[in-house]
Amino acid sequence: MTPRWKFWLIGGLVIAVLAAAIYFPILRRRVKRAAKLQQQSEEQARRELTQPIAINPGDPRVKTKLFWASDTIESTLVPVTVELPLSNDPVLRSKQVLNTLLAGPVDAELRTLPPDALLLAFYLLPDGTAIADFSEALATSIPSGIVSEQLAVNSITRTLEANVPQVQRLKILIHGQEVETLAGHLDLAEAFVVNTKPAQPQVKPAPAQSSTDKPATPASDKATAPAPRPLTADKPPGRLAQPERKP
Amino acid sequence: MVGSPVGAQAQQAGFNIVVLDPAHGGTDPGARGTGGIRESEIVLDFVIQVRRALELQGFQVVQTRQGNENPSFDDRSATANAQRGAVFVTLHISSTGLPGTARVYVNSDLPPVADSNGLIPWDRAQAPFLGLSRTFGDLVQGYLTQRFKGSPDTAQTASVRQLRTTATPAIAVEISSVTVEDRADLDRMAPGVADAIARGAAVFKPSYVVPNTRGALP
Repeated sequence: MTPRWKFWLIGGLVIAVLAAAIYFPILRRRVKRAAKLQQQSEEQARRELTQPIAINPGDPRVKTKLFWASDTIESTLVPVTVELPLSNDPVLRSKQVLNTLLAGPVDAELRTLPPDALLLAFYLLPDGTAIADFSEALATSIPSGIVSEQLAVNSITRTLEANVPQVQRLKILIHGQEVETLAGHLDLAEAFVVNTKPAQPQVKPAPAQSSTDKPATPASDKATAPAPRPLTADKPPGRLAQPERKP
Repeated sequence: MVGSPVGAQAQQAGFNIVVLDPAHGGTDPGARGTGGIRESEIVLDFVIQVRRALELQGFQVVQTRQGNENPSFDDRSATANAQRGAVFVTLHISSTGLPGTARVYVNSDLPPVADSNGLIPWDRAQAPFLGLSRTFGDLVQGYLTQRFKGSPDTAQTASVRQLRTTATPAIAVEISSVTVEDRADLDRMAPGVADAIARGAAVFKPSYVVPNTRGALP
């Protein structure tokens, strides 16, 4: 190989290395941006699918009992009474109370459900069996254990029992699927008993709700308003009424 | 389905086998503490001490797993259901709860067993044993509460998946918790837990009259 050829070969290699050094960071940025865009679109799609039912200010304000963990007795629930505008439609009403339960109490330590868990869908069958479909976070983010899993399910069933008399039983799904346990302990194979009393006749719906007060199943998952925010110190739910304590 | 014809009249007293189930294992570590504590490992260590205490009381012990495997819920139940005259204890460590306490669980009420063909449906195998499980659970909980202050006085009720398919008096014992900073805090509980289970089983023994027909209902 002549010195001239060597010169051109080395020069070509140097140019190739320089081009790669310039191009690779650009390529890496593009790949990252594409991944981010994909993630954002997935999040957007999930948000659109799971946007919870709004609290409609036109609905009658009713005293609502939400069951969160007790701050005095370990591993027990206490009802906290808040006034919320709730629909008369049992499916919408169930979604409203469960989304408020998921949003959590003022004191995050008293949560019973993971903060990233979402209610994906809620259905009510004519026989009073409700089906609540939660996101995977309910199973993956909950602290594993009999006591914590039971507290989570009890907070859901007791909140429904206190506020939606039409719900007699509750079957819990995770991301649309039947699962054996919540997080390795609590049995989700069967429906949980919510209400043993027969449902009261439904109250005449408020005019604002007339379009939604029809047979409740299956309920639409689409909604138009933002999720209820976590109850803040400005409106402390626990202060509106004395929590009732049960042993 | 589990068992064979219901209604065997002749019975023999007392059980002699305790099936111990260290929960989780294999790819399922169970509850995990910030200090790297894994429920699946601790329960296995607890079981060694529980086994020793039970053997001192004259019981034969069968384990659902010996090492870091993860048998299915049904496989674990099958181990218990294959024994004649046994009780079942599944051991857990919780992620929450007051550290240094222990809770005993018995399964929630199950729909009654249809006995037209004399067989117990597998998915409700625990149903005929709920009363016995409650008696056994209250006894063990009583001994645990004597040792671990702050524990409940009586056994709790919960829909524990592992218990539902078990056709023996069956309890879950859950110890709080993996959140302890030092694993030694949990290890110190092991002798007390072992003693409570062994004493509970010994006192419970006369209450459980084992039918002499294999699989017959209590």
